[in-house]
Amino acid sequence: MPSPDVLLSVNGLSKRYGDAVVLDAVSFELPAGVLAVVTGRNGAGKSTLLRCLAGLASFTGSATILGTSLPGNLDTRGLLGYLPQDVRFPDSVTVAEVVALFEDLRKATVDGTGLPEGFVPDADARVATLSGGQRQRLATAIALLGGPRLLLLDEPAANLDPWAEGALWQTLEDHRRTGAAVLVATPRADEGHGAPDMVLTLHAGSIQTTDERELMAAGGER
Amino acid sequence: MTTHVLRLASWELRRLSRLRWLPALAVLFAAGCLVNAVVGLRSLRALGLTGIGASLDGLVTFGVLLPPLLALVLGAGALASTREHELLSLLATQPVRRSSIVIGTFLAVAAVVAATVGLGFGAALLVLSQATGSADLLRLATVVAATLGTSIAAAAIGVLLGAVASNRLQAVGAAVVVWFGLALGIDLIFAGLAPGLNLGPRGLLAAIVVNPVEQGRILALLATRPEPQALGPFGAYLDDSFGIAGGLGLLGGMLAVWIVAPVTAACVALCRRDV
Repeated sequence: MPSPDVLLSVNGLSKRYGDAVVLDAVSFELPAGVLAVVTGRNGAGKSTLLRCLAGLASFTGSATILGTSLPGNLDTRGLLGYLPQDVRFPDSVTVAEVVALFEDLRKATVDGTGLPEGFVPDADARVATLSGGQRQRLATAIALLGGPRLLLLDEPAANLDPWAEGALWQTLEDHRRTGAAVLVATPRADEGHGAPDMVLTLHAGSIQTTDERELMAAGGER
Repeated sequence: MTTHVLRLASWELRRLSRLRWLPALAVLFAAGCLVNAVVGLRSLRALGLTGIGASLDGLVTFGVLLPPLLALVLGAGALASTREHELLSLLATQPVRRSSIVIGTFLAVAAVVAATVGLGFGAALLVLSQATGSADLLRLATVVAATLGTSIAAAAIGVLLGAVASNRLQAVGAAVVVWFGLALGIDLIFAGLAPGLNLGPRGLLAAIVVNPVEQGRILALLATRPEPQALGPFGAYLDDSFGIAGGLGLLGGMLAVWIVAPVTAACVALCRRDV
């Protein structure tokens, strides 16, 4: 039974693709108000873990968000924000059209995401004219729509310039302070996210959890 | 749910309408319909005859072949490319049912195909209206309805292919193969097997049930030119067994099933599979 402040609880989550075991009985808990990074080598299963939690991939075992089993229903999905690793919007549409679609579906506005002005590309720009970093910023804004309680971000800083990367981590930090949990998949634990509260290391399908807050409390080094 | 379906349909419709090759294909179809209409009228006038029968025959064949190909390819490519580009992941993590994504995509493809059919037959109507009476217009309306029904069924099948395929190339490839099967393959198989295996009436009915393109073709011909040599063996069997009104009703019902069943199957497939 997860403790009351646990936002995400994962128990024995396993995922196989044919004979290949990608995630093998992964278990961890994510309290509210933490920023955790999940690291591991390429192919370790970081993206798969996030996809399972986002309800995009089936799995065995269990995962709950605020006590509700995942993948859950439409209300549960409203608690989640997900950023895929490499999302591509149709070239022919404009930024405003993409934003309007997701604002309508989420019943929220990009203005409420807390992202600084200029982070979301020019509304009139066609997606075809955007750089990889600008597309990443657009997708990030969509993931943050509606102030989700659990943010699942797959390599959110990929392609971002230093200003955008700084703005991203600052926004995530602000988001964490509101009591949300942020889980970021990244190949490098020391990526420019400052100080994560937890580091989840995936290796050969298994996970090792390091609570950086406990280490700090015990006088350890990050 | 309806709001989400309509919102997703309008998004997909906007995307499809901006495909560069789509207007060209619509104009090509309209030009083909015009040529059919003009050639059909001239050939009848050369024989000293009146009416639009020859034009309608050409339009029936043209209408049940080209728009279904467009519908199959568009339907298959739409959902498959959305998934391939990870946009489906982003959509599926919103508070939206996956079935809404499927139905929205289907409605958008159906609307595009309906517009193409409308443009093509509208062009033909401009020519045929000079030589036609109200009875002929009703027959033309039946051809349009049959073409629309067949094309929308093809769109539904295309969306199903897009829902189960692993990528866009596979989905579109499968759509082309299915089109060849519906346009030629099934007829050839049944025509070849029927005498040898003594399939009889059940075989003839099966040949119609499994092929929405054949259903559309026979439906149009039953309404415009219910003669055995025009209807072919499957259509003649239907005419003999159920009469024109019964045959029209049966074919309309079959087409409705061919629209609803693939869309339902696509919803189930997308809900059950990993995105």
